Amino acid sequence: METTRPAKEKKKATRLWLIVHSWLALPLWVLIFFVCLTGTIATVSQEIVWLAKPEVRANRPTPDAVPLGYDAILAAVEKAEPGVAVSFISRPVKSIFALDVFVSYPDGRTRSLFVNPYTGAIQGVGGVFDFRYFMRALHGWLLVPFVGATSWGWYLVSALSIPMLGSLVTGLVVYKKFWRGYLNPRLRLRNGARIFWGDFHRLAGIWSVPFIAIMAVTAGWFLIQHILADNNITVSTAGVPPVVAREDVPAEGGAKAPWISLDRAGQLVREKFPDLSPDFVALPSNAFSHIVVGGRGAYPLIFETANVNPYNGEVEWTRRVSDRSALELVTESMRPLHTGDFAGLWLKLVYFLFGLLLTMMVFSGMMIWLKRTALATAKLVRDINAERALPSVEGVREAAE
Amino acid sequence: MRNKILWLVAALSSATASPALAHYPYCTCALEDGKVACKGGFSDGTGAEGVTLDVISYDEQILVPGKFGADSVVRFDKPSGEFYVLFDAGPGHVVEVDWRDIDGLTP
Amino acid sequence: MTGVKVKTNPHAGLPGGRHRWRFHLSVLLLVIPIVLSPKFFREEALFFGDSGLGQRELGEKAIGPWHVHVAEYMANAPTDQGLAGHMKTFAIRWNAEDADHIKASYFRIGKPRSLRAAGVVLSGGPYRQMADVPIPERVKPTDALWLTVEGWDGTVHQAAIPLDEASPATIAWLKQRGETR
Repeated sequence: METTRPAKEKKKATRLWLIVHSWLALPLWVLIFFVCLTGTIATVSQEIVWLAKPEVRANRPTPDAVPLGYDAILAAVEKAEPGVAVSFISRPVKSIFALDVFVSYPDGRTRSLFVNPYTGAIQGVGGVFDFRYFMRALHGWLLVPFVGATSWGWYLVSALSIPMLGSLVTGLVVYKKFWRGYLNPRLRLRNGARIFWGDFHRLAGIWSVPFIAIMAVTAGWFLIQHILADNNITVSTAGVPPVVAREDVPAEGGAKAPWISLDRAGQLVREKFPDLSPDFVALPSNAFSHIVVGGRGAYPLIFETANVNPYNGEVEWTRRVSDRSALELVTESMRPLHTGDFAGLWLKLVYFLFGLLLTMMVFSGMMIWLKRTALATAKLVRDINAERALPSVEGVREAAE
Repeated sequence: MRNKILWLVAALSSATASPALAHYPYCTCALEDGKVACKGGFSDGTGAEGVTLDVISYDEQILVPGKFGADSVVRFDKPSGEFYVLFDAGPGHVVEVDWRDIDGLTP
Repeated sequence: MTGVKVKTNPHAGLPGGRHRWRFHLSVLLLVIPIVLSPKFFREEALFFGDSGLGQRELGEKAIGPWHVHVAEYMANAPTDQGLAGHMKTFAIRWNAEDADHIKASYFRIGKPRSLRAAGVVLSGGPYRQMADVPIPERVKPTDALWLTVEGWDGTVHQAAIPLDEASPATIAWLKQRGETR
């Protein structure tokens, strides 16, 4: 990066960038710190629940036990809890977790049941307080209720993507020859707090460049997504929501028309799309809705779904990777990229680690500024006191600004 | 509405980040150049291509059967007598527009 | 530039200085989740059915040979859903002995002209079904919320709940809207 500009001018530009860098995050540093911290926890909230609650674990009764099919699970749940209505069964991506089975009881309560995938035993019942959803809501919209399609909390949080992206870019501009930091990492522990936090901020910063970029860009999409939604603009090519036609619902017999079995629905979908793994199945939510079978296909970031007519077994509607536009592949990848929940535990731990680093970046940035301005003010006071015969408090204050 | 979504949020965590991305049908009609033009779609911005739009008299006769094209607009001549327009995306996914709610038709 | 030489401040332009404390004021933003958490947990309890079918339960209604509990999900004014207009959410719960006889249920404000135009179909298990019901433009406070039910036996039954019983908040909202128009 050779330049013909005089060094002084270059220094001035860097200084300007430093000023911009400082102003970007500092005025809201506590909020940004909080959002980074809660987001870091939210990434591993499922694993935290796994550690805290033995009933959400999928314990294999014998080493050679095989997971039950959806029909066997449904039958086991209906036998254990007579009268419940099952609406949804999900097999978490990580096999260490029990199945999530959503039910409603005859008294009107709805619950998530943790069901052993090998035995069908109900191991536990989720409560009204769902730690995962709570962390997500705290991080994503500060618990501000949604009215219609939006929550101003969502806007407030996702708008932080702007200072985050700005901080990343200006930080790299200010940090002269930052690539040298990769080769000669420097973290001085014994030279005082100011030096330590400065070294930490730069070191953590350069190693987190891709992570910060992912977070800032994906959060920026969340902002854009809601601006679009608020203006009734969609990038979706999904089209008209699928509904089972009235003439497909058997009218004769005078009794409830039976649905095809869930395993049969899964089989019909697999016959058409062999690479779609049926990770979850949603039961029809009324007489005119489909059995929805979904899961990950070849591209792990996006869920593929197929709607099966519960009366005649036709696969009537699909949302596969190939059904999506290039733009949708990008936008629908944003959310898994933000949460890191698409590749297994190792990736979540990587996200957690970088999340902690990012949280500490906010804190260290604040500490640098605190120590630097404190030092500078003290130094200035000293210098002026020494040089002036009559120190004026006002003058010192003004100069310190 | 969160009820459709919570299972998605909880179980299908990748599919949606927000607890509320609504998908309600809508249909609005207005008199344009002597014809009634009805625009249909869904509140998220999705169009109505392929959705049925029937013009039905108050005594339940289908006066004009129709379907939305790619532009999500259906145009028809104003029938005589009282009628309503039914946007029908399937059982229970309907929007009704009474002739008195058509812009330009009301006395 | 006279007299005493005052050093230029290397931090001019940087945030802070005399008003450094102001930058810690962002901690006040954390009051948002703290203040809103009781509401969050109330809505969760409502969602999971622990505080009943809805914020305002309208009790059990007879509809043909069957019995159903109806509730106004949230006791507030209709929600603006953009292009689709304003909406109110209502919930129902079928008695266990009736649940298997019901094919489909619909809500509409105002009397439906036909089964096809019966309104919005309810979704969910038999013990907790909901629908977001649009508020028609020309609705009057004297109108009613109509529940249309199709049985698997082919019969259709209807029940009307006066709007002032179903949702007083909607009546208040309509009156306010009427005044501003």
